[in-house]
Amino acid sequence: MRWTIGIDVGGTFTDIVLTASDGTVTVAKAPTTPQDQSDGVMAALHLAASAAGRDLRALLGETGRIVHGTTAATNALLERKTASVGLLTTEGHRDVIDMREGLKPDRYNLRMPPPAPLVPRRLRLPIRERLRADGSVDVPLDMGSVARALDILTAEQVRAVAVCLLHAWCNPEHERAVAAEARRRLPDAFVTASSDVLPQIKEFERFSTTVANAMVGPIIHAYLERLQARLRESGFAGPLFVIMSHGGVASAAEASRLTVGTALSGPAGGVAAGLALSRAGIGGDLITFDMGGTSTDIALLRDGRAMLSAGRSIGDARIALPMLDIVTLGAGGGSIAQLDRSGLLQVGPESAGADPGPACYGRGGARPTVTDANLCLGYLAVSLGGGLRLDLAAAERAVESLGQSLGLDRDATAAGIHRLVNARMADGVRVASVRRGVDPRRHALLAFGGAAGLHVSAVAAELGIPRVVIPFHASVLSAWGMLNTDLRVELTRSQVQGGGIAVAPLRAAFAEMEAEGRARLRWFEGPLEVSRSADMRYGEQVFEIPVPLDDCLERDDAILPDAIADAFHARHEALYTYALRDQDVVLVNARCAVTGRFQSMGTGWSQPPAPMASRGRRIHLGAWIEVPVHRFAALGVDDLAGPCIIESETTTVLLRAHDRGRFDPRGWLEISVGP
Amino acid sequence: MPIDPVTVAVLQNRLVSVVEEMGEAMLRTAYSQILNSSRDFSIALVDGPGRLIAQADHIPVHVGAMPWAVRAVAAAFPTPAAGDVYLLNDPYHGGSHLPDLTAFVPVLVSARTVFWSVVRAHQSDIGGATHGGYNPAATEIWQEGLRVPPIRLTENGAIREDLAAMLAANVRHPREFRGDLAAMIGAARLGEQRLTAILAELGEAVLDEAVDAMLDAAERHARAIVASWDDGVFEGVALLDDDGHGATDIAIRARVTKRGSSVEVDLTASDAQVRGFVNSSHANMQSAVAMAFAFLLDPDVARNEGAFRPLTVVARPGTVVWAEVGAPVTLCTSHCSNEIVEAVIVALSAACPQRAMGGWGRRFRIAIEGENPRTRRRFIWHLFQARPGGGGSAGGDGWNGAGEWHSAGGIKFGSIEVTESRFPLFFERHEFRPGSAGDGQFRGGTGGDLSLRLETERPARANTAGDGARHGARGMCGGGDGAPHHYTMAAPGAGVRLLRTKETGIVMPPATVLHVLSGGGGGWGDPARRDPAARAADAEEGLA
Repeated sequence: MRWTIGIDVGGTFTDIVLTASDGTVTVAKAPTTPQDQSDGVMAALHLAASAAGRDLRALLGETGRIVHGTTAATNALLERKTASVGLLTTEGHRDVIDMREGLKPDRYNLRMPPPAPLVPRRLRLPIRERLRADGSVDVPLDMGSVARALDILTAEQVRAVAVCLLHAWCNPEHERAVAAEARRRLPDAFVTASSDVLPQIKEFERFSTTVANAMVGPIIHAYLERLQARLRESGFAGPLFVIMSHGGVASAAEASRLTVGTALSGPAGGVAAGLALSRAGIGGDLITFDMGGTSTDIALLRDGRAMLSAGRSIGDARIALPMLDIVTLGAGGGSIAQLDRSGLLQVGPESAGADPGPACYGRGGARPTVTDANLCLGYLAVSLGGGLRLDLAAAERAVESLGQSLGLDRDATAAGIHRLVNARMADGVRVASVRRGVDPRRHALLAFGGAAGLHVSAVAAELGIPRVVIPFHASVLSAWGMLNTDLRVELTRSQVQGGGIAVAPLRAAFAEMEAEGRARLRWFEGPLEVSRSADMRYGEQVFEIPVPLDDCLERDDAILPDAIADAFHARHEALYTYALRDQDVVLVNARCAVTGRFQSMGTGWSQPPAPMASRGRRIHLGAWIEVPVHRFAALGVDDLAGPCIIESETTTVLLRAHDRGRFDPRGWLEISVGP
Repeated sequence: MPIDPVTVAVLQNRLVSVVEEMGEAMLRTAYSQILNSSRDFSIALVDGPGRLIAQADHIPVHVGAMPWAVRAVAAAFPTPAAGDVYLLNDPYHGGSHLPDLTAFVPVLVSARTVFWSVVRAHQSDIGGATHGGYNPAATEIWQEGLRVPPIRLTENGAIREDLAAMLAANVRHPREFRGDLAAMIGAARLGEQRLTAILAELGEAVLDEAVDAMLDAAERHARAIVASWDDGVFEGVALLDDDGHGATDIAIRARVTKRGSSVEVDLTASDAQVRGFVNSSHANMQSAVAMAFAFLLDPDVARNEGAFRPLTVVARPGTVVWAEVGAPVTLCTSHCSNEIVEAVIVALSAACPQRAMGGWGRRFRIAIEGENPRTRRRFIWHLFQARPGGGGSAGGDGWNGAGEWHSAGGIKFGSIEVTESRFPLFFERHEFRPGSAGDGQFRGGTGGDLSLRLETERPARANTAGDGARHGARGMCGGGDGAPHHYTMAAPGAGVRLLRTKETGIVMPPATVLHVLSGGGGGWGDPARRDPAARAADAEEGLA
């Protein structure tokens, strides 16, 4: 037997999916261990091995590859448990990362203290050199200034060095020389240069991304080394891959170089699963709706593709790498319901987390969470899979005490929490779709994660979305998704702007990027695909839009500029309803993605559990009513009428009145949403 | 039976997401740099009676001005129809200053106006004697640009092309103007669609009740905060440097009476109106006071009409805070707005010292016009770099380079790499300005230090518009003032020349170096109480 393993380290649980060469799938969950995530990974692997009836050493010996999603970089940035960094930067410009282009969040909070700078000013050291906007040298590099700066960083014993020089996006020579000297003088430090991390114009974004890479570099590097060592000790001889923020996977070595590229590694698995299910024929455009314990991740999948955004902020760091365009809401099953200071009911962003967890976990939580409300309303069974028993009385006490301050009884309070969290989720879906110019009603909601099943039908109804799909094993879907995604290297080069599109440098940039991408994946045995695009805008605009260029680049040089401009006009019109064909078109960044596709793992949900006798349960839907409870993937039941409850070991789904459900033989639940 | 509290909470979340969605559409579709880069626009939802019900966080100085603009439109057009679009900018008909053009779309239920969807955007040009809307030489509003009293831009739901062409013919960049206008109307109509859907879902009666409950909740929240301040009558004064026409040390005087959960701000003792463009319009004065009040509440207070019910404003026409019809007012959203805010906060710092904050920066803009030798095209460049510092507060030190009271960290200056590739400018230095922060238990934020070389082949021309070269941002509760602005230029072969805050037609020969030292923020609290470790850190960081 050959195995492939997906490992998803979430905020609360570490999930494992094992797929065997005969198509069987085994899942396991163990608590996440935030201090060293590799502990939880190894514990979960032991559980998975025993569930598959194997010794771990034997299992890992037969394992071809492991794909890993980790929240280590995200957590380090959010909690600022990062490495000490020295920044070497152009003389006269050492405050770029701290100026944040003049912006401060939260406009009406004038008493908000500024965050500690990503790098203290005394460690932002001037390098005497200056390039001009066309890459030519205005002030030659003074190695004496480099030596003086490195003396200071040596004395300070920094663990990482970021090299960030103005205009290095179009001429990396100075940065390369500085970085080489830093590596020579500080051999144990993690050294990273902006022209290597994000070679594109706009210094704040490039510098901040590079500094963030330095901040998490030593941590991710050490973590992946440790995990690989532990896997090898346990008998694993294959490659370890890491899923990156752009949704593709990279070798552990590449993830150790571009560590900040793992910032969305966690939620990326869910998007990958959505893409894999699209390929498996789930049909139509999808909105992934991954509702976990502390947060909910929402992303759009159109024409079988995920959208990329030009980055986001994580903690205090702006990270401008292309990443999956995932909207994250600070609300999930563990979110706490409380009154804000104006006396209005609010749900989240504060969460009960894994410890103490919701009141019904019986671990001392006294404040009501979304999960407590769902239990009070009868949606959740007191006895869940895995032997977990919920404390109904504790949930009722927590909800009642909130109800007293609202002047509502327990049922109305619980129903209010449920409704309010549904409204927030619907707003999140609206942000992910409508705000990006997309009508959610033309999409299906693909719901997964521990908490999604009880809310998704109401969320869909509020938005007029007619179809919801819930895959079997919805609660570990992200780990499964990691097994079904591609190897991917994303590259970018800025072009000198204005004065039309220059063909020769553009072709040279694409050729260079393609060669670099192929070189980074040279160890991969399968075929590689290359796709090319550009970020473009009108001369006066500020926001670029991505334009796919693979077709255009087939054209002759003579007509290439017009073909590229036409592609841009068409894209602009599609997005914003108009094009300005008499205007200058500017090509800012050329982008290239090199992908290698692994053999598909199939959808292999081949072991639906035996149907369980359907028993009724009393739930509150406006009033207390008795509804049937069905077993998930009970084949042969192809017309479920809401209201009803559908349960598996790890997932509970609520169908409301007028919803209809049926099980697809491939193992997913199709819901047609009532009004 | 009182309205279900959950409906109220859902509605409030929904309205906030509507204004945010409108703002995002505006940001991405607007054509001029002042909107899509510097984000100088605001979005509001106002109800039929003219009450602010939701506002997106863009430019704080717009917060309290929108209801006055809506009332002016409603007074001029008592019976709006579905599909109508209204415009105004006139400071003497509900507007703030001429560059701020505002678009209004009514949301109707059986001929009754239930809501107004409102978009205000600062135009890159509004006609008048100088490019870019700021004319320090103006002594009457007709020299400042095109005045638009409330007008209906549509007929039977379609834009009146003749009227739009008339507006566009009166500004310097008609194509850009039309592009921005289309973006404004698009965003306002988006708000209309979203509100119409909410109305259909909840029904008019429930919605009315829910809006009342939402505003009442914000009022309770605000009053609970105000009630915790000391009662009394407090006075605060803030000074403008000058009006550019001979008047100096122009005083804004706030007499603030705090009793129970109410606050009355009386500005009647402020100086008489002046000749230059630092006078305020009525709506802008109301907005500046509301902004100061909002800054003293908690950031999570919903910014709607309810939150401002504890506040009353008394002022007198003919003063610098409320100019008589015809006076120039273009600088007022910066100055004297910032001085009105400062005077109110100085006064109330005695009642709620823990909430008061040191002064934020003053605005000093420069616009350079010339020929780009690389493209042979004319260019106009507006200075947004070298942002002044924010004020310190009991919450901590001020933000370095976060800007002025009126924007409070909402203005973006953009990339130097992009600027150098687009304009014949070379940024020799752009860093924080050490020693510029006002001292205090919590110091102000530092201003900026910018050295900029002009790389044209022929002389360029520049205008300035601003204040704060003599009076720095005010220290609060014993804190020191921030350093004032100090801008100079040095042309090759000529000496260093000081730039005044209100000049037109400055000639800048090629290779001129502009040296901008922008003001620091005011400190908060007695400097003797500053943590020695914080003081040592400032020294070590090279900011002292």
